[in-house]
Amino acid sequence: MKLITQSRLHKSIPLGLIAILAACGGDDGSPGNPGEPGGPPASVITELNITVKDVAFDAGIATVNYRITNEEDEPVVGIPSATYLAAQLLPMGYTNAGNASQWQYFTSESCSDVCDGEFVDHKNGQYSYTFSGAFDGMNDVSFMPGGTQRVVIKIGGDSLPDGTALPITNQHYDWQDKGDTPAYTRNLIEMETCNSCHSDLAFHGSKYNEVETCVTCHNTDKVSNPDNVFAPMVHGKHLTGFPGSLADCQTCHAPDETLTENMNWARVPTMEACGSCHTDIDFPAGQGHPTQQDNSNCVACHNSDWTMSAHSQADTDAVLGQFSVEIVSASLNGTTVDLAVRLSNPATNEIYSDSADKLNFVNDLRVYANWGVSVDYTTRSAKSIKLQDITPISGSDGIFNYQITGLTVPAELEDDKGTLAIQGKLCSDDDMLANCADIDNTTNLKSSHQFFSASAITDVGRRVVVTNETCGSCHGDQELNYHGSRNDLEGQCQVCHNPNMQAEASAANPSASTADYKHLAHTLHAGSRESYPDINYPANIGNCAQCHTEDASGVLTAALPLNSAVQPLAFDDGSFTSPTSAICSACHTSDTSKSHMTQQGGVFNGTEADATSGTESCATCHGQGASVDVLAVHPIK
Amino acid sequence: MMKSIQFHINKPLQLSLIALAVSASITSVHATGYGVQNANRDKAKVEKWECKRCVTTSGFNGSVGIGAAYNDAGDIHFGNTTGTDTDGAVGHIEADLNYQSENGYQTTITADKLGYDTGSAAIETGRRGQYSIALGYRGLANYDTNAALTPYMNSGDQLFLPDDWQAGATTGQMSNLNDDISDTALKTQRDRFLLEADYKGSFYKADINYQHEKREGKRTFSGNLLTNSAMLAQPIDDTTDEFGAKIYFNGKGWLVGIDSSFSQYKNDHQAVNWESAFTPTFGAAYAGQSAAAPDNKAYRVGANAQLNGNGHQVLMNLSVASFTQDQAFLPATINGPSPALPTSSLDGQVDTTDMKLKYSGRPLRGLSVRARYDYSDRDNKTALNAYPQVITDSYYAGTAVNPEYDRTKQLVDVGAKYRFNRSIYVDGGYRYDHNDYSDLDRDSLQQNSLYAKLNYRISPAWSAWLKAEASDRTGSTYKAVTTTSSPSNPYLRKSYLADRQRQEYKLNVAYSGSAAFSASANLHASYDDYNDTEIGLTRVDTQGYDISANYMISENFNLNAYLNQDWRDSDQAGSSNFGLANWYANTDEQSTLVGAGLTYQNLLDSKLNLGLDYSYADGQSDTNVIQGITSPYGDYFSEKHNINAFAKYQLAEKMALRFDWIFENYKDSDWLNQGLSVDSIPNVLTFGDLSHDYNAHYFGLTFSYQM
Repeated sequence: MKLITQSRLHKSIPLGLIAILAACGGDDGSPGNPGEPGGPPASVITELNITVKDVAFDAGIATVNYRITNEEDEPVVGIPSATYLAAQLLPMGYTNAGNASQWQYFTSESCSDVCDGEFVDHKNGQYSYTFSGAFDGMNDVSFMPGGTQRVVIKIGGDSLPDGTALPITNQHYDWQDKGDTPAYTRNLIEMETCNSCHSDLAFHGSKYNEVETCVTCHNTDKVSNPDNVFAPMVHGKHLTGFPGSLADCQTCHAPDETLTENMNWARVPTMEACGSCHTDIDFPAGQGHPTQQDNSNCVACHNSDWTMSAHSQADTDAVLGQFSVEIVSASLNGTTVDLAVRLSNPATNEIYSDSADKLNFVNDLRVYANWGVSVDYTTRSAKSIKLQDITPISGSDGIFNYQITGLTVPAELEDDKGTLAIQGKLCSDDDMLANCADIDNTTNLKSSHQFFSASAITDVGRRVVVTNETCGSCHGDQELNYHGSRNDLEGQCQVCHNPNMQAEASAANPSASTADYKHLAHTLHAGSRESYPDINYPANIGNCAQCHTEDASGVLTAALPLNSAVQPLAFDDGSFTSPTSAICSACHTSDTSKSHMTQQGGVFNGTEADATSGTESCATCHGQGASVDVLAVHPIK
Repeated sequence: MMKSIQFHINKPLQLSLIALAVSASITSVHATGYGVQNANRDKAKVEKWECKRCVTTSGFNGSVGIGAAYNDAGDIHFGNTTGTDTDGAVGHIEADLNYQSENGYQTTITADKLGYDTGSAAIETGRRGQYSIALGYRGLANYDTNAALTPYMNSGDQLFLPDDWQAGATTGQMSNLNDDISDTALKTQRDRFLLEADYKGSFYKADINYQHEKREGKRTFSGNLLTNSAMLAQPIDDTTDEFGAKIYFNGKGWLVGIDSSFSQYKNDHQAVNWESAFTPTFGAAYAGQSAAAPDNKAYRVGANAQLNGNGHQVLMNLSVASFTQDQAFLPATINGPSPALPTSSLDGQVDTTDMKLKYSGRPLRGLSVRARYDYSDRDNKTALNAYPQVITDSYYAGTAVNPEYDRTKQLVDVGAKYRFNRSIYVDGGYRYDHNDYSDLDRDSLQQNSLYAKLNYRISPAWSAWLKAEASDRTGSTYKAVTTTSSPSNPYLRKSYLADRQRQEYKLNVAYSGSAAFSASANLHASYDDYNDTEIGLTRVDTQGYDISANYMISENFNLNAYLNQDWRDSDQAGSSNFGLANWYANTDEQSTLVGAGLTYQNLLDSKLNLGLDYSYADGQSDTNVIQGITSPYGDYFSEKHNINAFAKYQLAEKMALRFDWIFENYKDSDWLNQGLSVDSIPNVLTFGDLSHDYNAHYFGLTFSYQM
């Protein structure tokens, strides 16, 4: 249809032109080549771009015309194979009142040596593919005039005749037969939202890597199991092991004004979508929810405001917005740290004139202290105080003074620095702080940490290799709580989870037996800890950048050599493994790897003196910028 | 005289009261302002007007009649044509009697179809030109259906279910439903009694009237509990009393008058109270209750004055009215403890003030000018309170304050008419309409209109006129109200408040060239463009024409025919994602009315009169919703063929027998209930399919005796 429109243009414009040209009495008016300039073919390909020019629709048979280029916009000629998917979208409410819009699969056709349809390589980067027949009736689906249609082209995974490898690339194109642009879409989510945690999601032999591709097949007209329809399938798959708050729909349905249907999660409640998380409900049977035979009534009660409010973090944010605790001063006196905290209400910009033990909404408010950031802390038993239980030494105007005693401060580390970490819970009722005597509900504070020296608080302290932001790419913004309310994954956990914790000498993978933070984090995510057998890391575990942040000079903190503060791995039998070997062997567990490390100076279960003697020569080859830099050999995105 | 007795259609409450106020003021001004009695008769030689051929008769004349008929009321909808829903034999009385005394007293007695639901009777006595007293009765009936299926029975305010009722979460689970349903009729019957007296003195005229109307019947009510709903036959038993009085004084070049009215509405029902056919969605909502229309009163008093002389005329009208109701509130819910209400009754009062000023004058020969100013104010004086909201008797949803919906409307109209010669005149003017509102999405609306008419008498036989009007409506900033529980799409413009450009055209051509044949035709079209609306009604176009002709073939044989067709196309834009338009609806409506009739008198030695009328009426509405894919709504139409024939045979000098035959073929359907059974919709217990499709006959014989 689009072609027809264009040919009409060709016919009508020249009429006007002819009139003008006739007056000039010149040109014969023969049309030039309407194709795009070919240019020299691409020689280097790291990225493929597919640009669909149009879908011509003739007698019900679609021909998709497209162009393939590399990252330099140079045409790519000779693509050896491709897969073409076609589907149609029924609008919201079309199948019944209240129903979501619904994809209907037509066909999947492919081309390599033989083609289901007709494939033309125009040898200038332009390609055409004509489907094997009319969509109408394919897969028992009627073609809907005026409906939104989708064609997906998948190429790559093989090579050009000259051997140039082609990256797998999916491209979709939505069109309709009665006008220029589709009248409606189902643009709910961007693939990059999925990839914020999954980094590089792909399925079915890595062939399909765009959400727009998935939905063309994962619909009721293609999959036989309703649990494999896209929305229920994706919801269901995330139900177990989800690393963040499942209640926050916007973790995946991230706000995005460019997606017209982005708010469907709140605006189009259906049994299928809602029921795939609320699995204790059987709507038609009236179990767990009053009986509903179809989706026509859902929105009568669950309007978008209600749904957003029920799944929103707004109440939590509002409660947290009413209380702030910060350490405003700290200093070390022997083994005692003197500190002052400031309590305020950011919502009103007022201070709390009462100390924490007198504020009736404070359920729990603790400060932990440890010393010695240059050696990743001097003890695994950080000292703490509970502010809700003790009277401050002194204080007024919202600033209250406390002491934490009994820090471990070796003489050689007196000039080092320490860390104070804060955690707590506030009693709350909906979006307001509430008296703990009246209500059981609590809201966790966002934990925080503050470095300090012997004389003052400082900005710099323990090295920062992961941040709450990088952790939050999967776990949400400090939404992952351990031990009740500890959620500052960047600087709080390490105060206790430090090298003073020991691995089991008998463990197959010693790193998986210690709670030292780096080993804990690596082995936990790799799924190698016995206590967390169900961990199914959602992305490529080799992508260090999913968790590690960059240092001040822009180098990923997973790089070698290690920071000097990193200590060897201590075992419960008194032996030690040298730091780099300990870290690498957490994932690279094979005997071959271990032999390689040992050959290059790594010490496994040696004496502390050997393990800290600096014999490891890993950085020579694997150091930053070296030939097999760990940053280069890992699939870092 | 009977003409001036107002037979108001008593639509609910304020509307009828307003209609009374408006019609009373209009009729009085027109009747006394432009009436013949105000013509300058000083120079007229009225004695020469005396009818020398008129013979003053005294005593009785007229006729009485008695009739019997067979009426096929298998579908009571046919009663809208025949005036009765009695199935089978039905009788009626007719009368048209006049008694005149020699000294000018006159009494008339009329009866029309008395005995039918829509029968009427009146007796009027008085002295022509001096006083009259009239007593009247009129029945009005509306028949919707006798096939509404419902398991409910009613007693007083209560609608209850059979003892063996099996409630279900959905209609499909109501296991006794099909055994428990029975046919229920939805119809209303109104009996209206009138008493009117007027007296005309030398320089004044007084008139009092009283009307009592009793209404009975049943209508559809929707009983909602959360997302479940049942269609209920709500009983109607109410009365309306209206009392009016006016007095006018007039002299040379002036007229002043006062008219007043009082109206009172009383409802025998306080509430609709129904048992739920559904199991409660949650909680214990086993029954629902909704208030019925409250008893209310209205008072109105108006003053009119008119001055004229030297070609100038000034009309003034001022009226104030007050509408009140203080019926005790029902509790906010009957399911569980009701939250406390802020007051025990609304104690509602709305006052209105209406003022009209009109001037017309003729400064030059052939030129007349006019100007008009109207002021109308609605002031809701009801106290504002926060009322608890218990949504469909199920859950508490905070409070809401009663909105005032105050409104002030001002209208200025200036115009002139210029007559070029005997055959051509033009008339044109400008109108400004200004409205101020409270509690709506716009605080004010203004409309500017220009209109013109060209009248051309082409020849003594042919005349034509063309009218055109263009108006432009705009208003203050559109701010969607925040008092609704869900916010409006920010692009939505409600059609009654939206910017609008309107054009209207009318063309009329008439022929009256011969005594035997006359005809007229008119064409009309209007175009409404809601030019600033992204979401909402965007366009309404109407077109139509009427043609009618009358041909008197002979003194006894007359033919007439008419044809009317109208089209109305409207476009609407909507959004399913709370953004700009992504779906569109167009609704094409059309109606056709065709008819032809003949009367043939004085056949068979002047003993037989025949009449035959046929009419065909068809109305339909087709809606397409387009979101890429076009989805048509179902049928929505009505179609009627009607034949109405009579033969009246003069049996003897004073006796006549009339035979009537009415045949009707009627079909209608509405996709809202087309093809539905009572349990088709899981959460709505419906009346089933309310479509009509019937052929019905009425045969009547009436014997009349000439006095």
